[in-house]
This record gives sequence, C-alpha cells and structure tokens, in this order.
Amino acid sequence: MRPIQKIPLEQIDLSDETFSVNFMPDLKRLRSSIEEVGLIQPVLLRERPNGYQIVCGFRRVSIFRDLGRPEIEAGILKEKERDDLNLFSISLHENLTSRGFNTVEKAIALAKLVQQFQVDPVVVTRTFLPLFSLEPHGKILGTYLSLAEMEDEVKRYVLKEEVSRFNIRILSSFGSEGRKALLPLLASLKLGENRLREMLTLLEEISLRDRIEVKDILHRPEMETLLAEKELTPSQRAERVKKFLLSLRYPRMREIEENFENRRKRLDLPSAVSIRHVPFFEGKGLRVEFQFEKMEEYRSILSSLSVLPERKEFQEMLQNP
Amino acid sequence: MFPFQIEKIYLDVKAEDDPVTQAVLKGLPEVPVERIQDKRPLIKDYSSFQDPIGAGKKNLLLTRFYGRRLKPCPGTSHHICCGYHVINAMTNCPMDCSYCVLQGYLNNPFLTLYSNWDDLLQEIEAFLSSHPQPFRRLGTGELSDSLALEPFFPVSQMLVPFFAEKKNGILELKTKSAEVSHLLRLNHRGRTVISWSVNPPKMIEEEERGTAPLRERVDSARRCQEAGYLVGFHFDPMIFYDGWEGDYQETIRSVFKRIDPKRIAWISLGGFRYPPQLKGVVKERFPGTRIFLGELFPGRDGKFRYLREIRVEMYQKMVGWLREVDPSLFIYLCMESKEVWEKVFGWSPKNSQHLNRLFENRLKEFLER
Repeated sequence: MRPIQKIPLEQIDLSDETFSVNFMPDLKRLRSSIEEVGLIQPVLLRERPNGYQIVCGFRRVSIFRDLGRPEIEAGILKEKERDDLNLFSISLHENLTSRGFNTVEKAIALAKLVQQFQVDPVVVTRTFLPLFSLEPHGKILGTYLSLAEMEDEVKRYVLKEEVSRFNIRILSSFGSEGRKALLPLLASLKLGENRLREMLTLLEEISLRDRIEVKDILHRPEMETLLAEKELTPSQRAERVKKFLLSLRYPRMREIEENFENRRKRLDLPSAVSIRHVPFFEGKGLRVEFQFEKMEEYRSILSSLSVLPERKEFQEMLQNP
Repeated sequence: MFPFQIEKIYLDVKAEDDPVTQAVLKGLPEVPVERIQDKRPLIKDYSSFQDPIGAGKKNLLLTRFYGRRLKPCPGTSHHICCGYHVINAMTNCPMDCSYCVLQGYLNNPFLTLYSNWDDLLQEIEAFLSSHPQPFRRLGTGELSDSLALEPFFPVSQMLVPFFAEKKNGILELKTKSAEVSHLLRLNHRGRTVISWSVNPPKMIEEEERGTAPLRERVDSARRCQEAGYLVGFHFDPMIFYDGWEGDYQETIRSVFKRIDPKRIAWISLGGFRYPPQLKGVVKERFPGTRIFLGELFPGRDGKFRYLREIRVEMYQKMVGWLREVDPSLFIYLCMESKEVWEKVFGWSPKNSQHLNRLFENRLKEFLER
C-alpha cells in the first residue's frame, strides 16, 4: 500500500458500490465529528484506470463531498494488489471496528459475499455470521439473504420497527406484490413483535390454504371497510383486523364460538356472571364465575344460576359446547 | 438399488469391531467411511448447515448406545395411549415426511444405527422375563421407520427370529416402506406384526418424501399376509383438507382390494398432531407444506390437534367406512381423549392400561386359536 496521500474527490468514483453495504446510514454524528476535528481515519481507495474505487469510507467521502471539500486523505492500494473478496473483507472489518452494521446492512453484506463474491454459503455461515455476532446457522443466513432481496421500503420498515428474523422470514414468503400491499396496513397498525407475528402468520396461512395472494386478502371489502374507518385508533384497528383474519383462518372454530356466545346471551344472565368453555373446546365442562359486593347481589346471582339446569341453551352448552 | 443413497458413513471407532458394524460396511462397500472418535463435534458441524436434518439423512452414523434402549412409548398426557414399548435400535430415518415429529427433538441429525445389538437383545430378554403379561408389544417404529435400513442391514432378520422364540413378546414393525423381501422367509411364529402407515396417494406424494407409494405398501402387506404375518394399518397422521373424504375412502378401498381383513391385527386412526416447536422446523424445511393449514389448536398435553369437532367427524366417518368392509376390525384411536373415544365409538377404554388389555385380547384371538 502506498503512503497516505490527499486525493481529489473528483477522482473518486462514488457510484461504484462494490464494497459498500450502507443502508440508511446515520451521517449526522460523523458529519459533526468531521466538522469539529476533521478526518481521524483516512479512507481506503483502490487505483482504477480512470480514478479511484472506494474500499472503506463511503460515508466519509460522501460527507466530504457534501461539505464541498476538494480532497480527502486516503490510503491507496494498487489495482491488482489484493483480490475483491479480500478488499471486501477488509471493508467489513474496518466498519465493524468503527460503527457496526444495522440489520439490513448485514443482509446486504452477506448477500454480496454469496452472490457477488461467490463465497460458499457454508463458509459464509461459519466465518462471517459470527463476525456479525450471529449464530452460525444456515437458516439465519437464509433469512438475511431473503431480506437483502426485499424492496427498500420493506427494509426501512424492518429497520424502523426492529422486525425479528421470524417475521422477516414470513415477509419473504409473501413476494414483492404481497409485501407492497401489506406495508401501508402495517404502518397504520403499529404492531409489536408478537402481534405482527400473529398477523403475518394468519395472512400467510390463509393465502396458502386458499391458494390466493396476500394482496387479495388485503383487498377484500371487509378489510377495506375496516381500514377506511377513520375514528379507530391503531390499536383498535389492529384488533379488528386480527379478528377478521382469525374468522377467515378458523371458520369452524368461529362458528362454534358464535353458537356458544349466542346460547350464553340467550341465558340472559346478570352481567356479573361469566360462563366460559374449556380452552379451544378441547374437553368437557364449563367454568362459571361471578362477582358481587352485596349479599343481595349474591342471592340474585344464585337465584339466576339455580334455574340454569332447566334451560335448553345451558344443557347444550354443557353437552355439546 | 436402494430407494435412497447413503453418501457417507461416520464410524465411531468404539463401534468398529461390532458384528453389526461389519455387516453394514459389507452391505455398503462403495460408501466412503470416516472414522471418528467423538460424534459431538460432527453434530455441531452439521448444525451450521442450511438443512442439518436433510443432510443428516444422507449420512449414516454407526455408534454404540449406552443406556436404556427399551422404553414405554412416551404417549401423551391426558390422553389414552396403547401401552406400546419403543425399542431404540436406530434413530432418524432416510424417508422425509414433512410432519415427522423427530425433526423437532432429535439433536443428532444423522441416520444412526446403534451397533451393540447384544446389549439390546439382552435388555429385551430381561424386560419380557420380568413382565409376564400375555403379550407385551414392542417395536422399532417410533424413532425411525422399522424397515428403513433393510436394504443394507436387515434389522428384521435379527428381531423377527428373536421374538419368534418369546412367549409373551410381540414385535410390531411399523413402516412406510415396501422392503419386505427379507421378512418373507423368516420363521416368525406369529410373533411379529408388520404394520403400514397409510395415507391417500396425494398426501404421500406431497408430504411423505422418499416413502413407498400406497400401491407398493399394500402389495407388500399382501405378501406379508401370504407369508403368515399379521398385519396392521395406521391411518396416521390423518390430514384434513377439502376433499379428504373421497381420498380416504379411496385409500380404504385400495387397501382392502388386496388385503384380507380377517388377518389384520389392528387399525389405528390418528389426526395430525404436533408439539409447538415442530411447526417452525417444518415450515423451514418444507415451505410449501399444507399440513398446518387446518384448524389446529393446543390440547391439554400442549400438542396442537384439529378442532375436536373435526377429529370426531374424521374418525366417525373412517370407522363407518372401515366397518363396512368388516365389522370385526379392531380399530383404535392413537393419543386421543376419552371424550373423543366416546363420541366416535359410544364407549371408551377406562385408561391406557385398559386399552393395552384390549390389545392383548385381540392378539389372543389370533395366537391362541
């Protein structure tokens, strides 16, 4: 490598992203640091026939350009001094020691290793996943590779909402059209990790079972009506959407639950009394609970419960929930 | 020609001198062998593969097993089970059924054959001596397919004659294979039941990779019946989907077109069920699988099953179709609750021991004639 020298920015090819894995880089801190104390670490460039290619320092060069600086200090590698994979590896290590990578940048880096630099996926799994503090499992590599293929707006959502690997895997199964249709809905619901998982799983399974696209589920009139209701809070809307998807996913369970609920309503019990079936109707028996504050209330509740054995609805709830 | 390929044999040096090892090496002379001192680094190494389970199926590990190899079938809590005992002769399976529960809990992904068979046979001997009930049912079909290794190591040749000499032991070999040629010449004395898991051809094609087609399974069962064996059929796991009725009815017709119902020891019915951790593994390995698309909910044992109403409907219809063939068929439900038994049959075994006694009585019908 040649000694550090100052290179005019105009000779550096910013469009060559061979060694870049940047995605939504946070430049504010770096910019203020450069403005305050200047460049601490020179960038690393490789000589090309018509200028220089960036190996390390995309963000620094970009800030220098924005600040209107004419040149930047750089270490220079001769064109054939090292191969591309070696340079990419240097770039990754340099970034790891300085700033680290966000989830999407890890995905881009891993995808470049496999697709651009043709590294065997088993080698990537064993060597590079631990470099990114990831467990060396092929499944994890698969998840990141699928994320690298997704649309930029989905990647931004993944970063912003810190979407888990599990949910990234489901999103990858939806295909581009499905993800594009889904994103406005997700953005309007503000779901936590578990609720997002639940919703994505429901959509995935309905789509697979009915052999329809996710976008076709999302464009159903019931769903569009739900989304058009302006007065709903994100949380209320999320609850309604989930209920609707559950009814599509589990129609027989919904029917049984509705029957149970209709019978319960017909019993016309005091509001302080609740009757519940066993979880998922798996097994026999009912659970009756009530709450009271005064002795009169207690007597009244007992009186209403005492007539239940004669009621057809109650017998049906017990025998055939 | 084997129905599957073994790409490599990992040979635990401690197993090297065992006759079983020598027999396998002789049976697979073309397969490269790597000697290992310790299987743990190997297992760890495979865990970094994209699909360690799939990779493990193509590699045979020959090792010894230290510990008990005969255990009651774990069954499931809050449900009635049949009292079967599991012989741990081998683990994992070259077949690749999407619903296979082994994917969810085996730490060792390799197709594994334990070479210390003398220990195993002694353990079975001791077990049968200390449990003098009329018939104890034991089998190798829980941790692998009982006939999976037959092409290069006929397990049946070691077990069937062994059980033929026992008064109170019944061997059940459960399989989805058609590899029965080794069995046909053996002197079994009625002490071995060979049973086939069956599903409609559509399900076999979509969800049971590497298994024999239904037609071949039935044909093998027929050959075994002709060789004097009692046979069994397990409609398990039954999958619920649009059009299941027609497909299962047709499957029953296919079975009984060739099989004598009077020489069937038992038929089991079991709806698809799975422990929660299985779903993630299966969806990763078989993204297109449709087995999880029914209405499945957690039961009292934590396993997911079809909504009870759906299971009852499936079992009632199946029992009806089977009884049309022969009302005397011995049909039982695998890992089901008393409530479901009652709804399907109008009665229920009191508990698992009771069901086990019913099995004994069934066997007496054949063996004490």
